[in-house]
Amino acid sequence: MAGSLLDQAARTHGGRVIAALAARFRDLDLAEEAFAEACLSAAQSWPKDGEPRDPAAWLYSVAQRRALDMLRRRGVRTRLVPDPPSPPPSAEDVMVDDARLIPDERLRLIFVCCHPAVAPDARAALTLRLVCGLSTQAIARAFLVPEPTLAQRLVRAKRKIAEAGVPFEVPGPEAWPERIGAVLSTLEIAYAKAHEDAAGVGQHAGYAQEMLDLTAVLADLLPNEPECLAFAALVRYAEARRPARLDDTGAMTPLSEQDPALWRRPLIIDAEALLHRAARRRQPGPRQLQAAIHAAWCSRADLDEPPPWPSVLALYDALLCWRDDRVVRLNRAVAVAEVEGPARALAEVDALDAVAFRDFGPFHAVRADLLARLGRGDEAVAAYDRALALEPAPAERLWLERRRGMALLQTRSSRRSPG
Amino acid sequence: MQYALLIYEDEAVYRDENGRAWQEIIAQHEAFAGELAEKGLLRGGAGLKTANTATTVRRTAGQHGLHDGPFAESKEQLGGFYLIEVPDLDEALSWARKLPMAGDGSVEVRPVIDED
Repeated sequence: MAGSLLDQAARTHGGRVIAALAARFRDLDLAEEAFAEACLSAAQSWPKDGEPRDPAAWLYSVAQRRALDMLRRRGVRTRLVPDPPSPPPSAEDVMVDDARLIPDERLRLIFVCCHPAVAPDARAALTLRLVCGLSTQAIARAFLVPEPTLAQRLVRAKRKIAEAGVPFEVPGPEAWPERIGAVLSTLEIAYAKAHEDAAGVGQHAGYAQEMLDLTAVLADLLPNEPECLAFAALVRYAEARRPARLDDTGAMTPLSEQDPALWRRPLIIDAEALLHRAARRRQPGPRQLQAAIHAAWCSRADLDEPPPWPSVLALYDALLCWRDDRVVRLNRAVAVAEVEGPARALAEVDALDAVAFRDFGPFHAVRADLLARLGRGDEAVAAYDRALALEPAPAERLWLERRRGMALLQTRSSRRSPG
Repeated sequence: MQYALLIYEDEAVYRDENGRAWQEIIAQHEAFAGELAEKGLLRGGAGLKTANTATTVRRTAGQHGLHDGPFAESKEQLGGFYLIEVPDLDEALSWARKLPMAGDGSVEVRPVIDED
């Protein structure tokens, strides 16, 4: 169907086309509007004239002409805009265009979206909207904010970028330490949303691939920035394991139970190369440690080999020196349970700020598992119930329900057994 | 684009006995302004006398009221500004970073309304 083909083209190429338009016209709203109009004309003409050979090139050419029309209509002097191509490309010209000729400006667009002048809570949303082409509705759902709030945040961010004169440039090396940190944090937030979805069929399915592309571009452009290389490695390790994250019933499979034979080896090899390059710079950092934790897992050859819990725990200890936050501590507790036992792990989890974690499903799932292992079945069931009440994705829900069922059995059998 | 660099500092930093801190910062500002002028980026600016010399006219519901002192009572006060013409925010920010300051303080970078 032309409709779904168009949706797919918009999702796949939207980021690149919008980035190229934004870089040319220096106007995010104009780029977005022109792209939306190009999608509208595609919806009209593709079913009639057939699908173009190169949908991205088609969309870009049409959007570019729409943008020029809009500027003319607005009566803006074409101060920043080069002369319009004359004569305007015909439909046939458009058909033979080549998407490879569209400049890849996504990286520039990322630096714009993640500029320190943009409010931190808008950066990831803006990047997901413009670079990854997610709908406002999908982003609002991912960040657990009402859609109007998110839309307002995006409008404010775009207005700030336009009015404050944020440049459409990748900054010079002197600004990298400050700017790359903002870009990486933003991409981390964006990628975490894609990664949470184990099945890879939810609203974030499209942009896991996008994240692989973007981090490759970032690592190419900044080959001497170890944290950039490490983040590119991390995304590859995590994506390599995607085929093993669901079992036959569609339930999530925990990392330690995943069959390494299902992991995508080429991605792991790429990731290792990136992480080695990062390590050679001899400037340690939190993302290198996080990637190293992934590397420890991905070095497991098969299920007969014991899981690398002791190395994982040591790496989490090192990571705490860089990033002592409660999510790192929670993840570390999972390794503590395996190395030092569930009682010790539960003590550490219960020392964390339960109020801040109230709506964080993984917190309740980890606690539930530890309680179950300590024979405190009733409390485990209650903790599973809290995790389930937070609307986990289908794969996580199935897994949690199964674990809850086991905890429930445990309470019954312990009640039956005397003393 | 034109940007105003608005300088907020704690004036107490310049209130030493022999006025040396003040003389030093003035010399540094002259050098800073000189560099901007040499590059053709300086469009204006001024240093302001201390906030205790300020008188504020406040309009509330059509009525004017006067009071002694600056608009906002805070430790850091507006002490002066530069008006510069640079291509974009990043360049304005890099000048803001270079702006001389004796102690802690802030430089607010604000784009100026475009007249065309």
